[in-house]
Amino acid sequence: MHIPIIMPQLGESIAEARIINFLVKPGDNVEADQDLIEVETDKATMTVASPCKGKIENFSAQLEESYAVGAPLGKIEATAEEAARLGMDVSASQKFTDTEQISKSGINSGKNRVQPSIRGLPVPANAAGASYLSPRLKARMDELGLHAADLAGVAGSGAAGRVTVEDFEKYIASLEKHKMSGASSMRVAVADAMRRSWTRPLATVGLPVILDAVLAHRKASHPKPGPALYALRALAIALAENSAVAGRLVGNKIIHPSSIDVGFAVEADDGVLVPVIRNADKKSLKEMTQRYNELVELARARKLPADATGGSIATVTNFGTFGLIWATPIPLPEQTLVLGMGAGRKVPSWDESKQQFLPVTEANLTLSFDHRVLDGGAAGRLLQRIAQLISEPAKL
Amino acid sequence: MITYLDAICEAQAHALRDDPRVFIYGQDVGAFGGAFKATKNLAKEFPGRVLDSPISEDAMVGLAVGAAIEGMRPIVEMQFADFSTVGFNQIVNQAATLFWRTGVPCPITVRLPFGGTSGGGPFHSQSLETIYAHYPGLIVLTPATVEDAYSMLLEAVAIDDPVIFCEHKFLYRHLKAEKLPSEALPIGKARIAREGRDLTIVAYSAMVHDALEAATELAAEGWEIEVVDLRSVKPLDTDTVMASVSRTGKLLAVGESWPWGGVTAEVIARVASEGYGLLDAPPQRLNAKDTPVPYHPNLWAAHRPTVRAVAAAARKILRS
Amino acid sequence: MLSTVSEPSLATATQLAAFRFMLRARLLDDKFAALYRAGKIHGGVFIGRGQEALSASIGVSLKKTDVFAPLIRDAAGRLAFGETILDAVRTYLGSTLGPMRGRDGNVHRGRPQQGYLPMISHLGAMISVVNGVLFARRMKGISGTVGVACLGEGATSTGAFHESLNQAAVEKLPLVLVVANNQYAYSTPTSRQFACENLADRAIGYGIGAHTVDATDLSACLETVGGAMAKARNGEGPQLVVATLLRLCGHGEHDDANYIDPALKKSPLGRDCLKFAEEFLLQNKMTDAAQLAVWRSEALREIEDAVSQAQREPLPDPFTENWSAISSEHLNETHIE
Repeated sequence: MHIPIIMPQLGESIAEARIINFLVKPGDNVEADQDLIEVETDKATMTVASPCKGKIENFSAQLEESYAVGAPLGKIEATAEEAARLGMDVSASQKFTDTEQISKSGINSGKNRVQPSIRGLPVPANAAGASYLSPRLKARMDELGLHAADLAGVAGSGAAGRVTVEDFEKYIASLEKHKMSGASSMRVAVADAMRRSWTRPLATVGLPVILDAVLAHRKASHPKPGPALYALRALAIALAENSAVAGRLVGNKIIHPSSIDVGFAVEADDGVLVPVIRNADKKSLKEMTQRYNELVELARARKLPADATGGSIATVTNFGTFGLIWATPIPLPEQTLVLGMGAGRKVPSWDESKQQFLPVTEANLTLSFDHRVLDGGAAGRLLQRIAQLISEPAKL
Repeated sequence: MITYLDAICEAQAHALRDDPRVFIYGQDVGAFGGAFKATKNLAKEFPGRVLDSPISEDAMVGLAVGAAIEGMRPIVEMQFADFSTVGFNQIVNQAATLFWRTGVPCPITVRLPFGGTSGGGPFHSQSLETIYAHYPGLIVLTPATVEDAYSMLLEAVAIDDPVIFCEHKFLYRHLKAEKLPSEALPIGKARIAREGRDLTIVAYSAMVHDALEAATELAAEGWEIEVVDLRSVKPLDTDTVMASVSRTGKLLAVGESWPWGGVTAEVIARVASEGYGLLDAPPQRLNAKDTPVPYHPNLWAAHRPTVRAVAAAARKILRS
Repeated sequence: MLSTVSEPSLATATQLAAFRFMLRARLLDDKFAALYRAGKIHGGVFIGRGQEALSASIGVSLKKTDVFAPLIRDAAGRLAFGETILDAVRTYLGSTLGPMRGRDGNVHRGRPQQGYLPMISHLGAMISVVNGVLFARRMKGISGTVGVACLGEGATSTGAFHESLNQAAVEKLPLVLVVANNQYAYSTPTSRQFACENLADRAIGYGIGAHTVDATDLSACLETVGGAMAKARNGEGPQLVVATLLRLCGHGEHDDANYIDPALKKSPLGRDCLKFAEEFLLQNKMTDAAQLAVWRSEALREIEDAVSQAQREPLPDPFTENWSAISSEHLNETHIE
């Protein structure tokens, strides 16, 4: 068994030592601990001792040369018993043999992987895309006036798909290639409201209603109430019966409405305005028709008075005016409910008494709501009640 | 070739030669030339000015303070940084408070051979820059290069305040340079040891070399790592660190001392509070394990941050 | 061991000078105690009642070029070494015109560059600083000066005491270490502080000179302290003086010292050194009652003037304070408050 003679660590911080004398020669028999080589450091002159009993096989080290700590200087031929007695028969990979190598590279050989002691980053493994924004990214977005929603189109390359600053800068640079125009202040305001509203879990329920009675009533009325006004009045009555469903959830409290003020959406240039009818539960349809028509005109002219905006508890939107039969409108951020009305259309309706299909005008009513405040059942019951009220327009 | 240790010896010879107020006091520093040979031949060259002290760290520092009051510029060699705790009281309560209390400067330099070399064990391996940096009134230097070891020790002796000069035992003989520098960055300025744009690694003393090696390893993977060598931990050059983080957005602070508090914590605290908006990933730090320094090389090498540990920590941040 | 009446072997002038410093220190200490009780002094007041003879003997035996590291009960020695009453009062009251400028207070005062070292609270820590000044002077070729460090018996238990005494012995420095064994370290009696019969025996272990003295007797103190200092000055190396007395006050003015053994108060140790010195001077016709009254009134007036002046002087202002702990201001950090 060949046992290496190693340059020992001859003191703190010593990196190497110089061979100044060989005290034995190849072929000599040596005892364990016998002095073999004289070496010199800049601190002292010392000897290298034999690691075991045996015969000097050779010295690879040269006189007057310096060798690093841990460097092999020669070999001793020893019996297997002697080697075993010294624990030198164990395979080298399990043993520490070379100070230099270990001090430079750690113990990261094979299965002994070094685990960094730092903790993971606070990016949830299942979070995707822009959900985690680093402080630097936020600062950069603030600088450019951007919001998290603006990153929706960016595929993140960071942990769990987060958008890194590099991703962001590439994205911003890529936008430069496209034609750009400034968004109107109305557009930006709507965008902001929608973005804020979208932070909540929103859901929509829908129901078809037959509008023939409403159409007949409207025909006979002067001035004519808009179809949305029927829905608005019905909503106001239903909420007067139970206003809790229009409450807002803040923390663990429901904030109840203090009066039944209902808004309605009016499309204006590049945006939507929402005039408000105050105490809509306390005025008849007839009483509010004139005011409604005025507010529509004022809204289109973008001249709504201050007392006709804000503070409403729910909104009505007649997306039917665009010929749409179904939509899922988004409630205003400070509201829980938005009632939608689709376009009326002729459909066959089974008449039980006449045992035949008859043509009726039907439209979809939708109710979009903050699911934190009410569930599908409560939303459905509210919508059913509104449909019932609309079916008897004379009572509105 | 000039080693880090030679540079320290040379700087002291230079100071002794240039300034009659300078003397060296410490255990075995005289004719023997010091436990590490940092004062080799100095006693012979400067008779009566390189003096053996009894094994009395407290009295060694106390004597230096008294001599400084009397106008001298003593250099105290602690045989190992670990033993400076015996003289801790004189360093932090006497030397560090003198100027504040009396307006009389206290120009002493306390040399601390510190840091891990394998086999040193719990009482010959400690890194104590953190506890000294904690005390007002002290300057704490941690040179990482042969050039800095030389120029910063010269500057330390010239400074009118107490300086804790932390010289790394592993670097003593492992670090070599062609020649001594003729000019140097002033104390208080950090150095960009390697430029990069993906991650800033802040390190000091021996860890600068581990960080540079890790940076080379990561360069092969396409990452460009910037390495900041703090040079002095007190004063800490926050501006250079912040400027680097503003380029990279990511920070890893590496130190050989224990993890609780300390230089790496200080670096991260400052960047987090003043440079929050610069960070594209949570700043991280890498330190020794929170145990005494172990004796056996297998444990020792895992106790302190290694090149691989630095690279692994860096990868984790880079992939975040 | 206690002497009754010492022979007036020392110059009468020295006796009288020492006595006057004792008297001034006693009156100054009394004034500090009164100011403390009036709420005018922040922190604590530490007085040297009972230790004036020993302390004054040190002060008058020192030359202005010597080194002095007094401890908390050394008002007499400080005055004798050259400290003004005004400096003492300014330090207690925090005047920015005093040597410590409100940054340190009460007994933590000094002027290091005049050889008057300001103590830190860690007992025994000043000895090696005195060593350092003496060591440096020797390197600079200055000879003939001595350094005195004052301690209580409690401080002899510290590691710093051992390290620095041994250091002084190895270097053969002209250090005189004066241990005032006043029987209590705060409340700890000597039986819980050390087990040797006589603290002076420790000198043998260090290879230095030893002296003992009854600290209630001014004449004996002048002779012993002066003799020890002469030996040190003469190149005979460090000298340890162990003086015995009883502390005639609390550790500080916050302490009523109810733990002091009444038997000790009645023993010769409990003798008031000031009263005894006064009697000695009168008995030996070295002065008379009229002269004593003049000295007393002069001292009182000086103290009152100093207190009055210091109270009208500027106090430290946190907004204009230079908050730099180092003299190299360019090395201060800009990122920490």
